[in-house]
Amino acid sequence: MKRTMRLISGLTAAGLIAAASGVVQAHHSFAPFDMANQKTVTGTVKQVEWTNPHSWIWLDVANEQGVVEPWGFEGMSPNYLARRGWTRTTLKVGDRITVAYRPLRDGSKGGMFVSTKLADGRMLTMSGATTTDR
Amino acid sequence: MKSTRHVRFALFVAALASATSGAIAIAQTVSLKPPTAADWDALAKLPDFTGVWETGGGPAPQRGGARAGAPGDAAAPAGNRGAGAQTAPARGRQGAGAGGGRAGGPSLTPEYAAKRAALLANPPEDSPAANCLPPGMPGIMGQPYPMEFLLTPGQVTILIEAYNQIRHIYTDGRKLPDDPDPTFYGTSVGRWDGDTLVVDTVGFSPITQIANGVPHSDKMRIAERFRLADPDTMSIETTITDPEALTAPFTSSRTLRRHRNWTLAEYICEENNRNSVDQSGKAGINLAPPKQK
Repeated sequence: MKRTMRLISGLTAAGLIAAASGVVQAHHSFAPFDMANQKTVTGTVKQVEWTNPHSWIWLDVANEQGVVEPWGFEGMSPNYLARRGWTRTTLKVGDRITVAYRPLRDGSKGGMFVSTKLADGRMLTMSGATTTDR
Repeated sequence: MKSTRHVRFALFVAALASATSGAIAIAQTVSLKPPTAADWDALAKLPDFTGVWETGGGPAPQRGGARAGAPGDAAAPAGNRGAGAQTAPARGRQGAGAGGGRAGGPSLTPEYAAKRAALLANPPEDSPAANCLPPGMPGIMGQPYPMEFLLTPGQVTILIEAYNQIRHIYTDGRKLPDDPDPTFYGTSVGRWDGDTLVVDTVGFSPITQIANGVPHSDKMRIAERFRLADPDTMSIETTITDPEALTAPFTSSRTLRRHRNWTLAEYICEENNRNSVDQSGKAGINLAPPKQK
């Protein structure tokens, strides 16, 4: 419950930027991402890779012809997310979500995860304050 | 003639053996002295650094003043998370100077200012970190992940969650080596100055940087002072000297906040590194979907 509440906290733009900056310092290349742009795409969660150095959220997304294609979104590392309310099952296979992301410059299907709205209306981000119990 | 050579060879071997055994003997006097009960008891009189500490958490509290935040307090501004470091006001001669360092940053010699400018003019797509190399010292102390301190007789050990790293700080009185091998963390010795752990570190890999984009010479030294600013806040003051790269010592400070309930997580960077940099220095993303279990 506490974690659920933490999920909702820290939804400021500054927080998002801070989280993104954290990525740079820990492990990252921003070069492939267009950090000045943000897009959204809707799909069905295919798999969550709860892995280091970064988590990856994989969606099945139907293109304009109705063909389902895999999209990948890079997120913060499990240790970072776990202290901000996420678990490896926060997003479940089969969940239909809309992801806000920083697109890849080359137009590939994916980007850097920014946020998503869960079915119950809560916003899920990768920033925010840390919890006390991890 | 032949016998002379044999004698010379024998003398050489003897000298080598003597030198080698001497070196081993020195190491043994340091590392193999068994800790006594008194040594363990003495640890209890030192400041309690044990536990897991979060980097950041806002500026250091004033001595005797209000605390930066209770354990678990979520009030620390997000902008202070991650880096957790604030450069201290310039000391003495440090300033804008000839170095061309950014305000509050290291003041660089012309040679290193030129190196930095060249780097900024043609920035690489990424740091070695993209290929899962750790930043080393001093960068490893500013990662957006926590660290844990262990105190044992003769040693303070810092376990750093990012990249599963370890710093060994020897507090058994040994001297720093004259000619250390260059390593990511350098070689560290420490001593207690009252309630402050004073650490000196030398011998760094050329991969490490003084600050973002600022290389160091093989003469870089890092001095750190660790103390408890309040029961769950640690203050670290870091002073970097490098006569080839810096025109003045570069001092910065950071605070850590203790979380008694936290444990360190593992961080195997090669587990799923999808944004590596290739040999040409170009950063890429591996978008191959994972194999289904």
